[in-house]
Amino acid sequence: MNDIYSPVNEKEVSDFIYECHKDSSPIEIIGNNSKKIGRVIQCSKTLCLENINGIIEYFPEELYIKVKAGTSLEEIENTLDSKNQTFGFEPMDLGFLYEGKSRGGTIGGVVACNLSGPRRFKIGALRDHLLGFKAINGSGEQIKSGGTVVKNVTGYDLSKLVSGSYGTLCALTEVTLKVLPKYEYQETFCIYGLTHNEAINFFSTAMDTSLEISGACFYPADNTGFFRLNDVKQNNSILSLRVEGPKTSVQERIQQLRKIFVASDYSVLDIFQSKAFWNLSKNLELFKNINEIVCKLSLPITNASEFLSKFSNDIKYFIDWAGGLIWLSTKDIETISKMRIFSVKNNGHLTIYKSDDNYRRTEEFLTCGDTNFKILSSKIKKSFDPNLILNPGKMYAGI
Amino acid sequence: MVLHLPEADQKILDNKSLIVKELNRFTCNVLSDNDELRPYETDGLNVYKQKPLAVVLPENTKEVSEILKYCYQHNIKVVPRGAGTGLSGGSLPLKDCVLMSMGKFNKILEKDFKNRCVVTQPGVTNLAITQAVQDQGYYYAPDPSSQLACSIGGNIAENSGGVHSLKYGTTTNNVLGVEIVLIDGTILRIGGKHLDSEGYDLLGVFMGSEGLLGVVTEATVKILKKPEAVRAVLIGFNSIEDAGSCVSDVISKGIVPAGMEIMDKPLIIATENYAKAGYPRDVEALLIVEIDGTASEVEAMIQKVLDIAKMNKASYNKASNSDEERMKFWKGRKAAFSACGVISPDYICMDGSIPRNKLADVLGYINQLSKKYNLRVANCFHAGDGNLHPLIMFDSNDPKELKKAEDFGADILKYCVKVGGVLSGEHGIGVEKRELMCEMFNNNDIQQQLSLKKAFDKKNLLNPGKVYPILHRCAEEGRIHIHKGKTKFPDLPRF
Repeated sequence: MNDIYSPVNEKEVSDFIYECHKDSSPIEIIGNNSKKIGRVIQCSKTLCLENINGIIEYFPEELYIKVKAGTSLEEIENTLDSKNQTFGFEPMDLGFLYEGKSRGGTIGGVVACNLSGPRRFKIGALRDHLLGFKAINGSGEQIKSGGTVVKNVTGYDLSKLVSGSYGTLCALTEVTLKVLPKYEYQETFCIYGLTHNEAINFFSTAMDTSLEISGACFYPADNTGFFRLNDVKQNNSILSLRVEGPKTSVQERIQQLRKIFVASDYSVLDIFQSKAFWNLSKNLELFKNINEIVCKLSLPITNASEFLSKFSNDIKYFIDWAGGLIWLSTKDIETISKMRIFSVKNNGHLTIYKSDDNYRRTEEFLTCGDTNFKILSSKIKKSFDPNLILNPGKMYAGI
Repeated sequence: MVLHLPEADQKILDNKSLIVKELNRFTCNVLSDNDELRPYETDGLNVYKQKPLAVVLPENTKEVSEILKYCYQHNIKVVPRGAGTGLSGGSLPLKDCVLMSMGKFNKILEKDFKNRCVVTQPGVTNLAITQAVQDQGYYYAPDPSSQLACSIGGNIAENSGGVHSLKYGTTTNNVLGVEIVLIDGTILRIGGKHLDSEGYDLLGVFMGSEGLLGVVTEATVKILKKPEAVRAVLIGFNSIEDAGSCVSDVISKGIVPAGMEIMDKPLIIATENYAKAGYPRDVEALLIVEIDGTASEVEAMIQKVLDIAKMNKASYNKASNSDEERMKFWKGRKAAFSACGVISPDYICMDGSIPRNKLADVLGYINQLSKKYNLRVANCFHAGDGNLHPLIMFDSNDPKELKKAEDFGADILKYCVKVGGVLSGEHGIGVEKRELMCEMFNNNDIQQQLSLKKAFDKKNLLNPGKVYPILHRCAEEGRIHIHKGKTKFPDLPRF
């Protein structure tokens, strides 16, 4: 392990990056190192942003929070909780995936990975909730973009670009995120015994209503044991639909779901079980302590059936985002290669979330089939980081 | 009115006939006669006019790509144009540019209800998308007030919002994918019918980039199922402060209305005279709140909103009891611009965003400015998301008045930035506000943006002169002198 430098303010981050920029000396950027994500990279220096932390301002009535990037997700969520607010994009806690226990990491890390939970299809991804940021670019300059307001067309929307850039464009020092009032109530309607094809059709039926479903996932029969909730029936596949809002409205909408899916075997999870269910699902506890390659596949809903018909026997998986996302794991590298080909052909995007270091070193983390996209990405990287010193190679080899 | 635009290249001007001939190789729709060019000399910000060198109206992506590639190879500037309704001058032509109008890209290509999206060409109007899917109970959420005329391509360029963006977001939150052509002719498809793309979020950075990064040739937009029930309520207040604090209270109580608009007294009177929407004439501020959801949820929320209004000393309220009545409530608000057009020979519509709790403060300041400049102003706000649209009235027959109106507008926007807001909520910067960018951003910030532009367009040929200040001494090349970090480009040409 190389030397880790942990600055305590923006100026120190800027000075450090400026020096490295002059020497073209590559830097790995970490928060509290909770996510083993992206390609393994060789850097002589590590920049740890954990000590750039603290809540800068929080105005609940303005629906935003401004924090330093090294602030722990836990601290921020507790603060929001005290005002009965939350992040709409439901940040994932990947600690269960990597270490078998909760470890949410820093907000900077969450932003850098654009991590969004089950509500994403209804309310947008993290990138839709980042209102503004401050950062140090690869030349050591302090830059900012955006602001604290939701409507903003003032120059390029760099907030979108830094979300999910895995620290390859700049070192985030401050982020401003939109927050939302917590929903007063929620319940989850579970349907049992469907095949994946039936599930995708059921998603369509549910989404073709005005019921404002805010969570829609499907677990095949042998992958449901970890839920251990009273009203979740075991040994059967589960399709779950979450409804949130004022209590009477939620109950009305659950009634309507009962009518729509009257012929199905179902149960309803009350608010406590519903919350627990979606937390387990969001934090990928299906893959807890599993020693396999874990991937995220985002693809058009209409291609999900074909994908599963081809691959469901070779993978452990669940479907989220009403059919738009498949989380999966496999031990077999060959299967991953085949899935990459399928993904490129069908306009999907396959991302490796967990694998051993050897795979992370030698194989692609993202699957990019478009050379022009890669050329432009490389130019964008240089426009922020001309000497390619920030997390070089983390997203793509050579970028 | 003198507006500083990038210097015209005499060689390009001299070569007009050759360039036009060459352009005809790529598309049969090239306009170059003076009379043909006139309709393209301005956009929604019609105080500025400039005829381009030529206008092209390509019909497919291949033509767009070939034209751009040709212009790139011959260093010819290109200004893209949608429906020409933009209010910040984003598609104002340059004397030596090829204006690329996307008007012939006017077809909806696919309605895909399974993936809940529509694939469309960029020249299709915003409203036409909703009209194409409404028989199946779907709609496209962003609804700028020009939705009847403005195009999806233009919406993408300016990241347009509308009255419902509080709950459903602006264009950036509702577009899933685009096909774009870069200035060198490269065709790129970004995003698609899926939700998350890996790699840098080029889709996100393209939204609201005001035609500086590429030309959109196709868009995939998200469609939503219509809510079960929608109701609106009109609430009158005796002071703008009370209306502002009612808005803050509604939001902080956890209610997210579909829309929440404030109009001030001058606008209430003007719209009432014009559209007869049934607004009360004896209030200082009128709030329109629209709630959607299930029927019982809407009932409960409307009641909550009325309770909050009462606590904020509301003097008037009326809830809609039918869809016709609800549409009537909106009729006045949506006629705001036309109504001002009747009472004043000219007006400019400003656009800034501020924190919600500063509404009353900013409005008070606008009224002071109105007295200072001796120009009338009427205000409407997308109050829920702090987006304000003061309408400054003036008479362009008096050359001094336009200058006064612009100074007035600039003062408002500077104040928006001062209270923690931004220069534009949904109209974009264009040429109108580019010199004010230095109010918000310092040299580093602007240089970073300019260097991103170079990644897409290294010769700076696509829509130059927009969004970023035009600096003597070549700010684009990174040679701005900053004194003690405070200099705000003193040598800028101001207009």
